[in-house]
Amino acid sequence: MNAPDRYERFVVPEGTKKVAYERDMKVMNAGAFTIQREDHTVGNVVRMQLHRDPNVLFAGYKLPHPLQYKIIVKVQTTSQSSPIQAYNLALSDLDKELEHLKRAFESEVAQRQTDYY
Amino acid sequence: MEASYQRFPTVRIRDLKDDFLKFELRDTDASIANALRRVIIAEVPTLAIDLVEIEANSSVLNDEFIAHRLGLIPLTSDKAMEMRYSRDCDECDGDGRCDYCSIEFTLSVKCTSEETLDVTSHDLQSSDSQVVPVDSIGHDPDIENFNQKKGILIVKLRKGQELKLRAIARKGIAKDHAKWSPAATVTFQYEPDIHINENLMETLSVEEKREWVDSSPTKVFEINPETQQVEVIDPEAYTYDDEVIKKAEAMGKPGLVEIYGKEDSFIFTVESTGAIKAAQMFLNAIEILRSKLDAVKLNFGSDEADEQFGDLGAHMRGGF
Repeated sequence: MNAPDRYERFVVPEGTKKVAYERDMKVMNAGAFTIQREDHTVGNVVRMQLHRDPNVLFAGYKLPHPLQYKIIVKVQTTSQSSPIQAYNLALSDLDKELEHLKRAFESEVAQRQTDYY
Repeated sequence: MEASYQRFPTVRIRDLKDDFLKFELRDTDASIANALRRVIIAEVPTLAIDLVEIEANSSVLNDEFIAHRLGLIPLTSDKAMEMRYSRDCDECDGDGRCDYCSIEFTLSVKCTSEETLDVTSHDLQSSDSQVVPVDSIGHDPDIENFNQKKGILIVKLRKGQELKLRAIARKGIAKDHAKWSPAATVTFQYEPDIHINENLMETLSVEEKREWVDSSPTKVFEINPETQQVEVIDPEAYTYDDEVIKKAEAMGKPGLVEIYGKEDSFIFTVESTGAIKAAQMFLNAIEILRSKLDAVKLNFGSDEADEQFGDLGAHMRGGF
């Protein structure tokens, strides 16, 4: 009766932004990104990549409630960088890594096919 | 600002068949391996029957029961990645029935003989020859359907019973309903790193070695018949139960063996239902994960960004 529709898990409703950023009022160089309609798949990957950045002092994510389909990623950086910079850098590094993985996999598959002939 | 903390993953395929893929993924993080696993199971799009209009049904199963079973039939979904979702389709105003976003199926069967008629997925006629129910071939030599293509059984009919319906198949993902999942099972394990302390092993008698080797529920170790030494014969059979470690401690020899899972080395097993080939499923998953990460980027320089940040430009640029 109270369960949300299944498509709510991935369809962003009209008028809501996919990502929103809020500066942290109390701490310098810190902020929280609220990402709508995503879950651990994206949250954990972004968080682990943020940890690799030496300018990032704090990075964590949570799902405030399992029936509310959003994640909050909290980032704090040194003054050499900013949360938004670190976040975008992490995302672009992940994109490059996945592209590298895709090419490596495709070439392995192609090699396998040629090995048969 | 050209720093990059990118990793460079490597892949080595061990086994590649149409519906089964086993490979090693190295030099990447567990979060990526897990994200890929989650995306393969839940977010790779396929096609499945989503709307059923029943004209006649005098079988023993009721309408919604049959509709449910039809939805679960896997359909060959190679064109799923290019198709549009029904809700996004402008051609048909979201009606969900045009050529760009849906495939139509018909089923029309009546039992006229005294024998029971099996209505299978072979009886489903598709409007598109590329999208048909997946055919499975019997694998068990003891059952009579060995090496024959057998369709998926939908319902059985007696003489005089009839089933006539139209069905629309649409693109979807398993997050919406599990019928859209292309994966049978997807697993990954950490590759084990096993070190036997040879000095301590020397202090064991052959019977003690045999006892220790047998304490493992899976066959990881074996005693070499010639040298009487304990060897690792199948490290990947290790299931990270600590039975051998507990046995070593019980025998009074702690530290006899050290076993760790390598943190950046994974062995993936991907099995498909037949809707999409296993290797193609993995490639689709990478693309989908990339587009998810792209959707999550924060764009500055757009109107929204100015509105949100405005004079926080200094904060954005790193506090200078």
